[in-house]
Amino acid sequence: MPGLAFDNYQRNNYLTTKGYGSPTATSTGTTIVGCKFNGGVVIAADTRATSGDIVADKNCEKLHRLAPQIWCAGAGTAADTEMVTQLIGSNLELHSLHLNRKPRVVTAMTMLKQHLYKYQGHIGAYLIVAGTDPTGAHLFSIHAHGSTDVGQYQSLGSGSLAAMAVLESEWNEKLTKEEAMKLCSDAIEAGIWNDLGSGSNVDLCVMEVGQDAVLYRNYLTPNVREAKTRSYKFGRGTTAVLRESIYSLVEVQEEIVSFKSAAEAIEVDA
Amino acid sequence: MNNISVDINHLKKGEVNLGTSIMAVTFKDGVILGADSRTTTGSYIANRVTDKLTQIHDTIWCCRSGSAADTQAVADMVKHYLELYEAQHQQPPSTHTAASVFQEICYTNKDNLTAGIIVAGYDKKTGKGEVISVPLGGSMHKQEYAIAGSGSTFIYGYCDENYKKDMTQEETIQFMRYSLGQAIKWDGSSGGVIRMAVLTARGVERLIFYPEDYQKQ
Amino acid sequence: MSDPNSINGGSAVAMVGKDCVAIACDLRLGNQSLGLANNFEKVFQLGHTFLGLTGLASDVTTLSETFRLKTNLYKMREERTIEPETFANLVSSTLYEKRFGPYFVGPIVAGINSQTKKPFICGFDLIGCIDFAKDFIVSGTASDQLYGMCEALYEPNLEPEDLFETISQALLNAVDRDALSGWGAVVYIVTKDQVVRKVLRTRQD
Repeated sequence: MPGLAFDNYQRNNYLTTKGYGSPTATSTGTTIVGCKFNGGVVIAADTRATSGDIVADKNCEKLHRLAPQIWCAGAGTAADTEMVTQLIGSNLELHSLHLNRKPRVVTAMTMLKQHLYKYQGHIGAYLIVAGTDPTGAHLFSIHAHGSTDVGQYQSLGSGSLAAMAVLESEWNEKLTKEEAMKLCSDAIEAGIWNDLGSGSNVDLCVMEVGQDAVLYRNYLTPNVREAKTRSYKFGRGTTAVLRESIYSLVEVQEEIVSFKSAAEAIEVDA
Repeated sequence: MNNISVDINHLKKGEVNLGTSIMAVTFKDGVILGADSRTTTGSYIANRVTDKLTQIHDTIWCCRSGSAADTQAVADMVKHYLELYEAQHQQPPSTHTAASVFQEICYTNKDNLTAGIIVAGYDKKTGKGEVISVPLGGSMHKQEYAIAGSGSTFIYGYCDENYKKDMTQEETIQFMRYSLGQAIKWDGSSGGVIRMAVLTARGVERLIFYPEDYQKQ
Repeated sequence: MSDPNSINGGSAVAMVGKDCVAIACDLRLGNQSLGLANNFEKVFQLGHTFLGLTGLASDVTTLSETFRLKTNLYKMREERTIEPETFANLVSSTLYEKRFGPYFVGPIVAGINSQTKKPFICGFDLIGCIDFAKDFIVSGTASDQLYGMCEALYEPNLEPEDLFETISQALLNAVDRDALSGWGAVVYIVTKDQVVRKVLRTRQD
C-alpha cells in the first residue's frame, strides 16, 4: 500500500458538514533564513513549534538533511516539512547511487518542487534548500505550491519579514563564513524576538564547498529557563491508589544447542 | 463542456503571484524580451530580483505572468518536450512549435492553470525574430510585439502609439525601457529592476536596468 | 466542542525520570458532556513500548488495534519486540499515510530502549509530526491544563516512586479542571525490567 490513503476523507468531510471543525496540525510558526558567502552557504532556523496559540515544542529541529552536503530548513505544516524532506532525501540517495555521483542541489530543488506542485499547495511545506555540490554552493527557496526562487539570501515563515529586514540592511556581496553565520543568526533572532510564531533557540548549518556540512544545533540559546528555586516534589504516598499490579518486562528463554548438533542440522544435502 | 464559465483569474489561496509587467518586441535584427522583477504573496514582496525571462531552447525564450508555480511547471515541461523534439527531428524547433506546445498545455489544463505567457524566439534561417503570446485561456496570437501582465494595461496606448517596425536594437531597448518603466510606475504589483534578453544572430545578451536607469527621462 | 478531538474527551501524559518513564491517562469516555463509561483506558502496552491515545474514541480503538497488528507482525519478522524509537517512526508514518483524511487522535509514546537502556518519550500531532521531548509530553482535552501542571511540577531525574507522585498529581489536578476528562486514572511506571500499573482513586463527578 504505497502512497497516501484517503479512506477517512469522506467521513471527515461529513463531520465538517455536521459542524465539527477540523483540528489544527502542528505548524512551525517559524523563522528560517539562508545566506550565501564566498565558498559556501549557511542556513538557520528558530526552534519553536506551535499548535494554535500553544507552544507544542520549545526546542524542535527545523533543519533537515536531504544529503550529506544538502540541507533544508522548513516552515509551514510541521509534519509536511518533515515527511516531504524524508521522502526526497531517500529518493535523492537512490538517485545518486544510481548515477554514482554526488547529488546536486538543483536536483533536490527540482524533485521537491515537482512533488509539491503535484499536490497543488495541499502539502504545506515552505522550504529553503541549500548545499554544496561539484558545481558550487547553491541557495533556493520553495513555496508550497511549487514555485522556486534563487538568490544570495532568502527568508521564509511567519518571521520572514523580521528576518528579511535584517538581511536587507546587513547583507553585502563579500561576506566571510563567520560574517554569514552572524548575519543568519541575527536574522533568526529578529524573528525570535519580534514574531510571536517564532521563539527559543537558533539552529544553524554551514555548508562549505568540498567539505562536510556542519550542523550547529542550538547555536544560540537566548531563552534558557530559570532553574527552579524550590522543589515541588510530593511526599511518597500522597496519591491514593486503588489497585496495583506489577509485571516483569524480561522474559528469559533458555535453549542449549551444542555445536555438534547445530552443524549437523545445517547440512541440507550431503 | 457546456458550463465553461470558470473564473480562471482566481489564484489559489496563499499562492505566489507574478503581478508582472512583461513584453517582447521584434526589431530589425531579432527580438527582445523584457520584464520587471517583482513577485508577491498578497501584499508582501517575496522576491524583488526575480528573473521572469526563461530560456526554453537555444534561441527561444519566454516571459511568464500569473502564478509562479504554474508558469515554472509549464516552462519546465515545454523545455523538456523541446529537448525531445530536437533529438527526434535532428533540428531545433521553431518559435511557432514552442508556442504550440505552450498552447497545448495551457489550453487542455485551462481550468487548473493561471499562466499568461509570451513566447519569443530568433529564427536563424529567416534571420527574423518572432513573438507569439499565449494568454490565460490558452489561445495563441502571433504579434509584432506583445505586452502582458497586470502592469501592461497602463501602457497599451503608449506602445500602440510608439512601436515602429524594424527599429534598431538601441531604439527597441529605449522603447521597452520606457514602456516597462511606466508600467512599473503605475502598477503596484510590478517593480524592482527591468530585465531584458536580446535574441539576435549573435546569440543572447542579458541586460539589467536599475530604478535609477529607467526612472529618469 | 465543535472539534472531533473533544467529542469523547480524555487526556494522557508521559514523563521521563531517572532510568524510568511514566505514562498515565484518565478513564472517561463520554458523549459531549454525558459520561458513558469509566473504564476506557487510553494507554496500550505493545511489548515494552507504551502508547497513549487520546481523541475521537472510535479512532483510538481503531488505531490501538492497528498498532497491535503492526507490532505483532514486527515481532514475528524480527523475533524481538519493537523499540520505542522505532515505534515512534511507525506511528508517524501510519498517521501521515492519512494526511488528507486524518485520524482525530493525539498519540504519545513512552518506553525504555532495551539495548541502550535509555528512557524515551515523544508525542505527535494528528498527522504524525513527532515532538521529541526530554521532559514530558501531554495530550488530550486537558492538554492546556497538563502543560501548566507539568511545567510547574516536573523536575529531572526523579526516582520511579517520586515520578509516580509527580505524574499522578499533574494528571489528577489537570483533569479536575477539565469537564471532559477524569472519572478514574491509570498510571504506568516503566523501568528497564518491570512495569508497575496503578489505578488511582479520583473524583467521580
